[in-house]
Amino acid sequence: MNCGLPVNNMNSPNFIETEDLTKVYSTGRIEVVALQGVNLSVGCGEFLGVTGPSGSGKSTLMNLLGGLDTPSNGRIKVEGKFISDLSKEELALYRRFQVGLVFQSFNLISSYTALENVAFPLLFAGVAKKERKIRAEQVLAKVGLGNRKDHLPAELSGGEQQRVAIARALINQPKILLADEPTGNLDSKTSREIVQALSDLNKNQGLTVVMISHEESLLAEFADNVIHFCDGRVTGEVKHK
Amino acid sequence: MRISDYIEQSFANLWKRKLRTFLTTFGVVIGIGALVSMISFGKGVQKNVTDQFNKLELFNYISVTTSSSSRENHADPDQQPSAEDVNLAPRFIAVVDPNILDDTFIREVTGLKDVEYAFPEIRFPAMIRFKGKEEFSFIQVLPAYVSDLMKLRAGESYTSDEENCLIISDSMLHRMGIKNYEEAIRQQIELSTLTLDFSIFNLANIASFFIRGSKDPNGTRTERLPFATRSYTFTIVGVAERMGFGGAIPLRSDVYIPLGPSQRMEKLSLTSIWDFFQSPGQIKGYSSVSVKLSSAKYVEPVKKKIQDWGFKTFALIDQLEEMKKAFIFMDMFLFAVGMIAIVVASLGIINTMVMSIMERYKEIGVMKAVGASDRDVKKIFFFESGVIGFLGGVFGLILGWAVSMIINLIINSITSREGVPYVNYFSFPWWLCLGAILFSILVSLAAGIYPTLRAARVDPVVALRHD
Repeated sequence: MNCGLPVNNMNSPNFIETEDLTKVYSTGRIEVVALQGVNLSVGCGEFLGVTGPSGSGKSTLMNLLGGLDTPSNGRIKVEGKFISDLSKEELALYRRFQVGLVFQSFNLISSYTALENVAFPLLFAGVAKKERKIRAEQVLAKVGLGNRKDHLPAELSGGEQQRVAIARALINQPKILLADEPTGNLDSKTSREIVQALSDLNKNQGLTVVMISHEESLLAEFADNVIHFCDGRVTGEVKHK
Repeated sequence: MRISDYIEQSFANLWKRKLRTFLTTFGVVIGIGALVSMISFGKGVQKNVTDQFNKLELFNYISVTTSSSSRENHADPDQQPSAEDVNLAPRFIAVVDPNILDDTFIREVTGLKDVEYAFPEIRFPAMIRFKGKEEFSFIQVLPAYVSDLMKLRAGESYTSDEENCLIISDSMLHRMGIKNYEEAIRQQIELSTLTLDFSIFNLANIASFFIRGSKDPNGTRTERLPFATRSYTFTIVGVAERMGFGGAIPLRSDVYIPLGPSQRMEKLSLTSIWDFFQSPGQIKGYSSVSVKLSSAKYVEPVKKKIQDWGFKTFALIDQLEEMKKAFIFMDMFLFAVGMIAIVVASLGIINTMVMSIMERYKEIGVMKAVGASDRDVKKIFFFESGVIGFLGGVFGLILGWAVSMIINLIINSITSREGVPYVNYFSFPWWLCLGAILFSILVSLAAGIYPTLRAARVDPVVALRHD
């Protein structure tokens, strides 16, 4: 799993780029500006940390980068392609194969076992049932949950659930992993384990990781760069590595 | 997504909500069951009628009656007959009186090309007494040469038109409590007819009846009406199978007697007001004659020929188109009644699917987050609707069939007491079975359109935040 680029191009600053990215939510006559002209770039294989107070636009940025939402203005370029110009069907393909999404509340399907949750994205990729099972078992084993595959989410701890969610995000071998507050519902020990797991994926497999977190200390420890958000704007950037 | 995955997912998702799925599907089952029963009943009736008509060759019959205007339409005896006339009945024009349907007419019409036989339609009411039991019925006069038209269950048909013998139907014997039909053969049976008693048919009696009523001052009944009964003894020679669905035309009686005894019997046919003003000796000819052709395709030319001779004709085949129209209306009515249940079931599907979408709101968000397109989401819910329709169709068909069988059983158990043979009132042709399932799926898919579109429109960002 890498960016599909030569190794000497790793950490190329142009893997993910936003240009004047703006998102305005309209509810009747009231307009809420969530992002205001954000320009940022993420290199291939980079671990970018995003932090800032609540309502600063971090999650909006994540939704736009993940292709779940479309910008009101500005453009997003991923791997040289403007995803902000993609149709709904093309965006679905982008989410299916190029990005993996991890959420604070795990967003696992409660009636599915860990294995079924992990295999779920493969359904939409048209993978055969037998292969779905094999691949899901492999990815679950990678995140250390090989022995918990038949458990329902309710039977797993928070950390285990988040690892299942990470496994689900990785099942289609994406190039980018977007994690929105993945440690928000976890204790500090488990949080550390989860961020460590993301960092390992970043280091060992060249996965580009963009992670939102309030825990600046964790970001400082694991992220290559950390950007600060406030009122929908990037207010600062710290390079750790 | 693969088709097999859609189907598997649909079954799995519906199975998770067993009770709701069961109740929704049950609604469809009831709807399809009702629709199938209704249509199968309509088709069953049509099939029985047309099959019976074909089996008894009723479309091959022409019923002939005299016409008051026949004399005007009657061919001029001096006119040269056409080549067709010559071919059909070279002797007819000069011989038969178009006002009288008599043996001469029967003889001549039988001589026409493609006519197998003809016989008079004489029916009159009578009280039948046998082994201490009494039953009222209409007696059919059937000449010996056509008595073999009947399918016999015991004995044989009569060969002479002169003997006082008769053929009785199995259902009549059944009503009289006789199960072993062989027992009845060669037994004596009494027929009592109603006739006019001219001995009391005078002005004084009529005046007396209207002044004092039918009872004298002491309250005892008096015989002042000009009617009397006459009893005749016959020998049963055969037991005929009743001609199926509602009785066949023209063989629709429970008792058949030859021509000779009929002519000797005093009787009122009660089919014409003129019976009361004419003595049996005054009535000339038959009221109608049935003409049997070798095939229904000859009905039109023979009918035209008989009409040209000045008689009125009636052929059942002419009514076929009208019958078909009536059947179409019946089908439409039954379909409309069944559709009410389907519409109610559709509302149930819409409700279930909308509820399902609301419950699975977050799941739809997850689907989209992991790469499902709007089209994928639509298909998932569309397949679920389709599965409900499929299950409803299959089980509805089974229910419809089961209910039909039960109704059939009940009706037949009641009618069998009257000696009516077993009739299947419901018909399940292959297209109805297949159509019911396809229709159920289509209705369910149509009911799923709105919920499906609603599911596809779910904003993943909002859905993922939904708790």
